[in-house]
Amino acid sequence: MTVPEPAPPVIETRAVVKSFAGVQALRGVDLTVRAGEIHALLGQNGAGKSTLVKILNGVHPAGSFSGDIRVAGRPVSFRSTSDARAEGVGYVPQEIEVLEQLTVAENVFAGQTGLGAGVLVSQRRLEERTRALFAEIGLAIDPRALVASLTAAQRHLVMIARALSFRPRVLMLDEPTASLSGVEVERLFAVLRRLKAQGSTMIFITHRLPEVLAICDRATVLRDGRVAAEIGREEFDAERFIFAMSGQRLQRLYPHHEPPPAAPPLLSVRNLTIAGRFGVNRGVSDVGFDVRPGEILGLAGLLGSGRTEILHAIYGRIPFAGEISIAGRPVTIRKAGDARAAGIALLTEDRKRDGLLFNLPVGANITIGNLGPLASRGMVSDRKEKSAVLAAMRALAVKARSPQSSVAHLSGGNQQKLLFARVLMSGPRVLLLDEPTKGVDASTRHEIYRLIVDLAEKGVALVVVASELEEIIGIADRCLVVADGRIVDEFNRGEGSEDRVLRAVAAAQAAATMATALPASERTG
Amino acid sequence: MERTVGRPAAAETSGRALRDRLTRLVAVGEVGVLLALVVIVAFFFVLEPAFLSERNIRAILRVVSFVGIIAIGQTLLLVCGEFDLSVGAVAGLSAVVSAKLMTALALPVPIALLGGVAVGGLVGLVNGLAVVRLRIPAFIQTLGMLFIGQGLIQVVTNGYPVYPLPKVIGEIGMAGFVFGLGWSFVFFVVAAVSADFVLRRTVLGRNMYATGGNPEVARLVGIDTARMKIGAFVTVGMLAAVAGMFVMADLSSGTTSIGSGWELTVIAGVVVGGVSLFGGAGTMAGGLIGILLLQVVTSGLVVIGVNANWQQIAVGLIMVIAVGLDVLRRRTFIAGSGSEPPAEPAGPAKS
Repeated sequence: MTVPEPAPPVIETRAVVKSFAGVQALRGVDLTVRAGEIHALLGQNGAGKSTLVKILNGVHPAGSFSGDIRVAGRPVSFRSTSDARAEGVGYVPQEIEVLEQLTVAENVFAGQTGLGAGVLVSQRRLEERTRALFAEIGLAIDPRALVASLTAAQRHLVMIARALSFRPRVLMLDEPTASLSGVEVERLFAVLRRLKAQGSTMIFITHRLPEVLAICDRATVLRDGRVAAEIGREEFDAERFIFAMSGQRLQRLYPHHEPPPAAPPLLSVRNLTIAGRFGVNRGVSDVGFDVRPGEILGLAGLLGSGRTEILHAIYGRIPFAGEISIAGRPVTIRKAGDARAAGIALLTEDRKRDGLLFNLPVGANITIGNLGPLASRGMVSDRKEKSAVLAAMRALAVKARSPQSSVAHLSGGNQQKLLFARVLMSGPRVLLLDEPTKGVDASTRHEIYRLIVDLAEKGVALVVVASELEEIIGIADRCLVVADGRIVDEFNRGEGSEDRVLRAVAAAQAAATMATALPASERTG
Repeated sequence: MERTVGRPAAAETSGRALRDRLTRLVAVGEVGVLLALVVIVAFFFVLEPAFLSERNIRAILRVVSFVGIIAIGQTLLLVCGEFDLSVGAVAGLSAVVSAKLMTALALPVPIALLGGVAVGGLVGLVNGLAVVRLRIPAFIQTLGMLFIGQGLIQVVTNGYPVYPLPKVIGEIGMAGFVFGLGWSFVFFVVAAVSADFVLRRTVLGRNMYATGGNPEVARLVGIDTARMKIGAFVTVGMLAAVAGMFVMADLSSGTTSIGSGWELTVIAGVVVGGVSLFGGAGTMAGGLIGILLLQVVTSGLVVIGVNANWQQIAVGLIMVIAVGLDVLRRRTFIAGSGSEPPAEPAGPAKS
């Protein structure tokens, strides 16, 4: 790439300072995004990414911060999100926000007017425009399909299409891959590359370095509300990003762990079969595996492969057929309480939906479900509870002002550590972890890897599910590859690679496609 | 940006500590209602000193003891994330059924009273099973039960009050051994203290907050949320029955109008006291202070001679304003007290 002169900036910020309750979240941020580039915005949780994004899309209105924003060289001030949109700033939020009961076309054009005559909407015209837009960006989703029938990845693409329907000058994508698995990420990237080829400018907000390396042209790294580094593609290097984000060079991404010696299994699963429910999961058939004490077993696979359902079944969250034994003894698991009694604990993937209790403070969030030993005759002992909470917070380095603080204000990493504290408090022998590092910053991620290895060294049997293949391969002693509800490959530490997993999945999917025609919603996207 | 990082100057820290303490004080839900209660009492007292006469205070507390007994159950149920609109009808139904048992069937009084409690418990059980097992929304199920209960009252009584009742019932109603207040007040205080203890200090109480806060999480940590909710429905049904029978004793008659309209008074009161309609938030003290506040307003307006029609308008306004202020308080003091913005876009809980 020998560009004689850099492209003109599409959107710039100069000396943006923003405070919340007297604490500066942004301490003078200069961001320059040039025309036609995919610009990565990186940083740990709390580095100021979200705040900067909210300023750029008008959520924090002009006047609530100091500094300038320029769009195409012209100073602008956004009083609302619609101002930002009118100036050509498109935004795709991290959480999937779709209207499930409406069609794809209706979702793409939700909130827009002038789609027909007067107050009436012409369904045909809506579909035509959606089809045209999809053709342009290379999406193969039926505009008439109900969004409720789409996968998470397809919904995300619909949201991107919605933002693009306004013809933005710059498109901000907030953690667009958070809920996607490998192949889906590739599909998303294909769309982004196509948009870039058509001259679109994008800001890509993420935690995930491999994605930055794969798709971005330039990167701005935020740390503590300041720009820690601005790095061009030719200087891209994972180590350099980690250094800029954390201010320290991380020793090694995954802590060392020796697989435990041969031993009778602690957790045995045989003939595990889960009935599929349309639109929720496709089921699991005849899965069996053993986990030894001290072993970290990884379940690799794509979103919707059945890996999460396997964990949920073992924990009694969804009904299943099959046998589960703990230390050789068969156990009957019909509900979470049964699994807990057998010494099994589960860390769920979605902190907001089935992790945190926002109505209770930090301390009670840790002890909920674990109050038995902290109580006598049904009465909670304040003293015992407080000391247990403080000990747990110390052990896991949960940073909160006090056990009475609200959990809503903790960063993603601290929320995750809090949930670890909760599941570990019962002293489980078998620990099931569903996406243990989802939405946490790089240094917490490292702490969590360390914790997983420490637990294994104490003899806990761990089963880990993670979407990032590199992560699951890095952390697990042994990996099972799950595709379409079956185990299609297995390898030990050092024998596998992302390639091997993807090839195994692709082979299984090819076989499945030949065996049965997939429902329409699965073919698209 | 954790708070532990880079906190400068001690002066700022101590100023902040004071502010934090104030914030925490106001953030305690009950303090707001309590302040409002004091202001309102003072207001009526200034306008009409007779408002704080022994007789008027007693009258207020008598009504509060009836409605309050139900409010205890309703608060427990709201904490679990459900609510019951049928409590007024259940109170009336239990009263007339027990009255019929002791007159028409001539059963001994204690048996008849237990029969009344059983009716309340049974209705609560039906409500609970329908809501939890059949997944009928509590609003629909208990609204339906409100009509059914009202209908059953007419079926049982043919529309006539059940009268006369055994003498002992009248004696229970007339007793006035605590500041001129009798058994219903004693029962109310004992039940309120016990329920408060359960909510604040016990594993059961904590599990109720978890159930109301997020039933999915509660199930995952091993809490039997179905049992929590059904238990709370049964409790509120039985407490409504007890309240209904205390009114019956007070009137010495199984009147068909017992409990009519209470369902809304009870919910309005506890909501004024900061108990969330969405579950998992609120305290027993708050809920009961809210009930007292509404009763004080109603009574105060009577004492200063305001037309009865305006009293209802006042109750409605107070409820809306109280909840509005509560929402504002949560936003300013709880959300704003954090020095860092919520880490993720959809940070604060919907409560």
